[in-house]
Amino acid sequence: MMRQKGLAGCVAIAALALIGLGPAAWAADAPAVLKLGTLYAGSGAFAVPSTSEHEGLKFWVDQVNAAGGTYVKALGRKVRLRLIAYNDRSSTTTAAPLYNQLITQDKVDILVSDFGSVLTSVAVPIAQTHKMLLFDPTGTGAALFSPDNPYVVLCSLPTSAIWPYALADFLKKFEPVRRVALLYATNDFTGSQAATLRERLRGSRVELVYDQGVATNTSNYAVLLHNVEAARPDAVIEFGYANNDIAFLQGLQASGLKFKMVFAIFPGQLFSLLRKNVSEAGLAYTYTYPTPPLLAYNKVNYGPGLEAFLREYRQKRGEDANFLTVAGYNTGLVIGKTLATADKLDQLALRRAVEQFSGKLFTLDGLFKVDRSGAQVGELLPVGQFLPSGNGVKMQVVFPFALATGKPVYPAP
Amino acid sequence: MLKAVLTGVATVGLFALAPVFYANQTLLFSAMMYLVLAQGINVLYGFTGYLPFGYVGFFGAGAYAGALSVLRLGLSPVLALVVGGVVAVLVGVVLVPLLRLSGAYFAIANLAAAQALYYVVSNPDLQALTNGPYGINLAVAYNATASYAAMVALLGLALATVVYLRHSRLGLALRAIREDRISAELAGINVVRERTIAWLLSALLAGLCGAAFAWYISVFYPETVFSLNVSIFAIVFALFGGAATLAGPIVGTLVLYGLYSAIGISQPEYFQLIFGLVIVGLVLFLPDGLASLSERAGFEVP
Repeated sequence: MMRQKGLAGCVAIAALALIGLGPAAWAADAPAVLKLGTLYAGSGAFAVPSTSEHEGLKFWVDQVNAAGGTYVKALGRKVRLRLIAYNDRSSTTTAAPLYNQLITQDKVDILVSDFGSVLTSVAVPIAQTHKMLLFDPTGTGAALFSPDNPYVVLCSLPTSAIWPYALADFLKKFEPVRRVALLYATNDFTGSQAATLRERLRGSRVELVYDQGVATNTSNYAVLLHNVEAARPDAVIEFGYANNDIAFLQGLQASGLKFKMVFAIFPGQLFSLLRKNVSEAGLAYTYTYPTPPLLAYNKVNYGPGLEAFLREYRQKRGEDANFLTVAGYNTGLVIGKTLATADKLDQLALRRAVEQFSGKLFTLDGLFKVDRSGAQVGELLPVGQFLPSGNGVKMQVVFPFALATGKPVYPAP
Repeated sequence: MLKAVLTGVATVGLFALAPVFYANQTLLFSAMMYLVLAQGINVLYGFTGYLPFGYVGFFGAGAYAGALSVLRLGLSPVLALVVGGVVAVLVGVVLVPLLRLSGAYFAIANLAAAQALYYVVSNPDLQALTNGPYGINLAVAYNATASYAAMVALLGLALATVVYLRHSRLGLALRAIREDRISAELAGINVVRERTIAWLLSALLAGLCGAAFAWYISVFYPETVFSLNVSIFAIVFALFGGAATLAGPIVGTLVLYGLYSAIGISQPEYFQLIFGLVIVGLVLFLPDGLASLSERAGFEVP
């Protein structure tokens, strides 16, 4: 009997530990403050991009509250925001209950997912079940969007499959390039870009002379680089996460090999990180997708222009913003615009509000436009090239030609 | 026996009724998932001494097999659960030769096998079959309530399996193998057959659990269902409570997963420190888990 009591006690204590996560009292009918719930990765594989993105969102919340709140059309007044953020430690199995915690226990009014497709993936069905609109800053995987799910909106990047549109057009139209080598990490983000590039180059005068997928955790590109060189390409396209790009560009420097054109994704998104690890000399003549702050959108119709934002961010936070900070901040702007547009505060009304301003909203991150499934299709990523400038490098856009700020330096010296 | 059955029924009842009182169903589902996996680890490690660091391989195989049988074959989610379990068992059959290894060699080889499975599933060249690295969207079959109920049933099955092993000749044979394989053989136990049964039972539980997870979560990537964290959590939870018992993994999962969730929410900045200290304390002072503490005090743990 005593033994059974002891065991029952253990189970009860454990159950309390689970239950004691804290059901929060909240009065839905008196929104003196709107609760905005999100997750961030304080450690693990996604920590660097996730914390940058989270800082951007936090900065927007602070800015809004300093101005007395965000205008909520449904209430006819400004309402202050309270940000509730949990650390998912880059784990999807940790993130899933935390998203649920935000909805069912904290009863947030606005739900924002963590960085990237993997950590966003678990939020999509949970948000759909609870009929919460999920503001997705950077989860760009195609699996996250379906026309029959109105409860997700991609805010700050296009879906990954359409990223290489401009790059493919550039390769097809840029006369000196005829032989292309494609090296990509086999994950959803870069694998889908590789598939798009392959598809769009098919049937053109450009020949894919090397096409190789590698594991996402690849950190040594020495052999692969020599394999690429053996294919004698006019352009080398490397699609990877930041760690892949760093390893690839470092390996390229160490190998002494020279290619006429090298493209990588993350020099245009996490410039500071890449500069620190690869050096500016290593980035010179590299092509990339330039994103803010390398690409300056100052003619906006909502929120600050890029330069104003960068200035204020530096002044208040004492550090420079990167693209993911801009992406987090831009998600805040989309939320602000949604609240200022929606007639009611229910979640489908918020989604309808997004459709009202989709295609008309220009922010520091460019044009915001979503399709029926909530996937972002407005921000097309141009092609840019880093050129030596003084002791460092500067970015020039080389394609589309209408947006170009200079001509590509080809072949790289 | 009665005590074990009562403990199992109470645990299943707790999780079956918990959503009525606590709305974070995903947290409850995750706790159950780890509990089933911890019992799966228990079946293998607790009864035979083989520690499968790559246990997540069976879980991932079950998740993919279950999801793909819904998407490609149009099976119902319940049948897909069975497919998930069967495919995990088939993977287990292929990996049976690993049982010739022991100790750290078995753990490492098992881990490598799980990684190999991950790379096969996420290979872009297999996109037509597995959708490669692009993930699975099972929204067409999504049903949080039904998949939660399925996991409750699986929990019952996992606990019943351990109760059976605790009180059957098979379980006795397995424990004899764990203590001394040669003596067990001399006593007439068919070592190869018995440990293979334990291995496949363990794979079955993980495969069923993976398929239920896929059904519940509905959108996932290969890195989600082949994450090494899943193995590590299940192993730590089983060891913390005490292997080769029914109650050990239950208590280990509820206490540690509860702690993991509570600290992660209330004190995220101290999470790694506190959780790390708990684990180090366990290894130093309670290597046989909480069950040993209870047994030292004279309480028999079911």
